[in-house]
Amino acid sequence: MALPILICDDSSFARKAIARSLPDEWDVEICFAEHGKQAIEKIEQGLAHVLFLDLNMPVMDGYETMKVIRQRDLPTMVIVVSGDVQEEARKRVIEMGALDFIEKPIDNAKLFAILHKFGIYDGQSSSDQRQCSIKTGNSLEDKLDVFREMSNVAMGQAGNSLAKLLNIFVELPVPNVSIIHSNEIAMAIAEIDKNDAVSGVSKGFTSKNLRGEAVILFNDTHAKSLSALLHPDESSSQVQNTNDIKQDHLELEALMDVSNIIVGACLRGIAKQLDVDVTHTTPSILGLHCELSELVEENVSRWEELILVEIAYSMPSVNINFELLLLLPVDSLDLAFERFLSVREQ
Amino acid sequence: MPMSNKISESTEWVNALLASLEMGIVIVNNNYEVEVWNQFMENHSKIDAQEISGQCLFKVFPDIEENWLKNKCKPVFALATPVFMIWEQRKYLFQFEASRPVTSDADFMYQNITITPLLNESGEVDKLCFLVYDATDQALNKLRVDRLNKQLKTISRVDGLTGLYNRRYWQERFDLEYKLSVRSKSCNTLMMLDIDHFKKVNDTYGHQAGDAVIRHIADTIKAATRETDVCGRYGGEEFAILLPDTEAKNAVTVAERIRKLVQATEVDYEGQIIKYTCSLGIAQNTNEYTKPSQWIEIADQALYKAKETGRNKVVVL
Repeated sequence: MALPILICDDSSFARKAIARSLPDEWDVEICFAEHGKQAIEKIEQGLAHVLFLDLNMPVMDGYETMKVIRQRDLPTMVIVVSGDVQEEARKRVIEMGALDFIEKPIDNAKLFAILHKFGIYDGQSSSDQRQCSIKTGNSLEDKLDVFREMSNVAMGQAGNSLAKLLNIFVELPVPNVSIIHSNEIAMAIAEIDKNDAVSGVSKGFTSKNLRGEAVILFNDTHAKSLSALLHPDESSSQVQNTNDIKQDHLELEALMDVSNIIVGACLRGIAKQLDVDVTHTTPSILGLHCELSELVEENVSRWEELILVEIAYSMPSVNINFELLLLLPVDSLDLAFERFLSVREQ
Repeated sequence: MPMSNKISESTEWVNALLASLEMGIVIVNNNYEVEVWNQFMENHSKIDAQEISGQCLFKVFPDIEENWLKNKCKPVFALATPVFMIWEQRKYLFQFEASRPVTSDADFMYQNITITPLLNESGEVDKLCFLVYDATDQALNKLRVDRLNKQLKTISRVDGLTGLYNRRYWQERFDLEYKLSVRSKSCNTLMMLDIDHFKKVNDTYGHQAGDAVIRHIADTIKAATRETDVCGRYGGEEFAILLPDTEAKNAVTVAERIRKLVQATEVDYEGQIIKYTCSLGIAQNTNEYTKPSQWIEIADQALYKAKETGRNKVVVL
């Protein structure tokens, strides 16, 4: 009898990618869920002896889902599939009862090894037949979904870099991907209070298949905490300056440091998935201590329609949030989509 | 052998290329010992490549803060990610003279720095490459624009004769402070001041002497008020002063100080000794006002009363 398995991920692309990576000869009945709530319903219907579970999802995320599974003692084996590659995330999910943790993008051999290790499947390891039967669609929604998933994996790697550097857990959101008009950027940014003073730097990036700008935005109150976190020793070394100038300077340093790490790692993550080399420019300051609308309006001067990827990182243990925005001209969508699929197929 | 010939040819070609670049290229190993130092670096530092080769960067350039730079390079080693530093952050990494010694007014070369990882065969970062860009022109232009914008802002806000805020900007600040005080329920006091018989000063001594008197009272106001007080030239010889976090009775002390100082001093305009006095009206904000103009109206009435009842005095309403 076919084994009922459930794949739970908010991205349709990711659901299909997981389904495709399952071994060919594994006799399974696959069903899908878009978030934890749907997953719980399906587990209760007996549709999920094995559950492949994403962590960052809307409605109910992977952590909450596992909490419910444990509380109600639901009969399912959980394998977490996530772009959050922080050691702390892995530790947390194992503690919460997951069998194992597998990174996105899925490595078929690793998946096979896990299935084998837990005695779930021990047939042939090959997995290329489902490849053909499960196709990615070609609609705008599908393309945006691929973009969201690609950003998701890249932002996970970037978050992990920052976490390692600061030795702190970085909470990852669901990236928000939308097509907007360039004069709507300030409106489209959901996570920053419109009245807060913000600072931002922008860096351009170019490759054959993708070009755009990466913007790091900081709320000013958070910039202070972050500069204290990044430069605990510098507060004493520059006493000759007046306090305000020093504070401003340290905040700019913090902004640049985070931009270097996050943008660098995120672009590297995207470049790797597209198998391209990305050139980046020297960052340029968009504005310091100004209102969000002012900062955006004074700087945006081109591109009618664009793709906005908004990623709101937060570090709850130190109460710091900041935003990474990727702004891309809309023609990047098709180029990146095609390239992404062709890299996956190889 | 043809093979090694090709290699040495290509090395020379690369060296020629490195030399011709209008940017500094420095490669260091993980002990920060210099391995590549291109022509740009030689010329600007006056240190030859052979001389610096194998030396620790921090020994040759003691001005570079070792801990700071190592901190910046940490992600380059650990994450193989490039790190960018811009002149706004630090003016320069290497203290060089400006490239155009005559026509550029910088004392040094502003620099943007990119630090990129160089990977060895096993994929680890064991060397760093510093790219040093001359950003002097860009920096000077930006600084010039910032300076001009600042000047423009000041010009648009400040009254040319007195250096106090002009009426438009004073009103803007007053409206803002009013809104803040409504929200925070703080106690603020508004003071209106007018020079007594100013027309007579003008008629007797001339308009330029009148200007000197106006400048004199503006200086007196500046001297008697705090930095946080909002002082503006409201009309020809009328001044408005907003005292945040101040009750009327404390504002009276300030008003009396101004009145007495004015009464006690003489203005010497080209040998003509001018004596004058001023009147002041004071009104504290109350929650009865629904808009800022009502508050100004009450302070104006206080000033009018001071004039009506004999001048050279302070009246509170």
